[in-house]
Amino acid sequence: MLIDRVTQDGTPAILEKVLDFTEKRQELLADDVANADTPNFIQKDMSPAAFQTALRQRIDQVNDSPSAMLDLNDLPTDATDTNGLLFHDGNNRSMEQLMTEQAKNALLHNVAVELLRQQYATMEMALRDKIG
Amino acid sequence: MFESLDIGASALEAQRVRLDTIAGNVANINTTRDSSGKVHPYQRRFVVLASGQDESGSAPGVHVEQVGTDNSPALKKFDPGNPDADKDGYVAYPNIDLSEEMVNALEASRSYEANVTTMETAKAMINSTLRLLA
Repeated sequence: MLIDRVTQDGTPAILEKVLDFTEKRQELLADDVANADTPNFIQKDMSPAAFQTALRQRIDQVNDSPSAMLDLNDLPTDATDTNGLLFHDGNNRSMEQLMTEQAKNALLHNVAVELLRQQYATMEMALRDKIG
Repeated sequence: MFESLDIGASALEAQRVRLDTIAGNVANINTTRDSSGKVHPYQRRFVVLASGQDESGSAPGVHVEQVGTDNSPALKKFDPGNPDADKDGYVAYPNIDLSEEMVNALEASRSYEANVTTMETAKAMINSTLRLLA
């Protein structure tokens, strides 16, 4: 269907993946903050750089085979590098780092939402045949 | 997305239980008898936190695994006039260090705040996603 191609191809589909990623990462960061006092808990995170690299690769592949969309479950969840910091209770919490990463993640989320809004506004304009 | 809020809520609950426990310790710092009125000093309680939202540990989050009892020996104070004194004139008081409890209380309250901040971030993200529909 035409509408599928409008919503499932190109920029909106990619922005949707970015939103999926920021939501998943927010859950990880929330879990890290929740377990800041849990003994032997090692902080976990997903690297935005690794996500962007994987997304770039898939975007290049999609032109050949349209079904090859990025699955976030394929991305690795790594132990957060807190510069060798480890407390006596076996936890490597770094509250400052966690809060900074959350702020960055929320900003990326907002950027993706704004871009998606723009995309939808453009589509709406085209559908209504009203330009200028 | 709502999972982030559940994770935050599980941590809020765990930190509240932790603070309740500390409050109980501070309140009973001079308690020399148990609830039935027998001479037995109050024993300090502490929480054991574990990851996972409940005992199964399946969903991400945190929970209070158990409220443990500190079995360290009581503090003996010489006070022969006290009705709870033993034959040598010593009264057994709970082994609670007020400064330790206060530091723990601060830590619990800061953790609580950090989790509230996390939940606010998640809420702001949900709200901005909802604005897509507006």
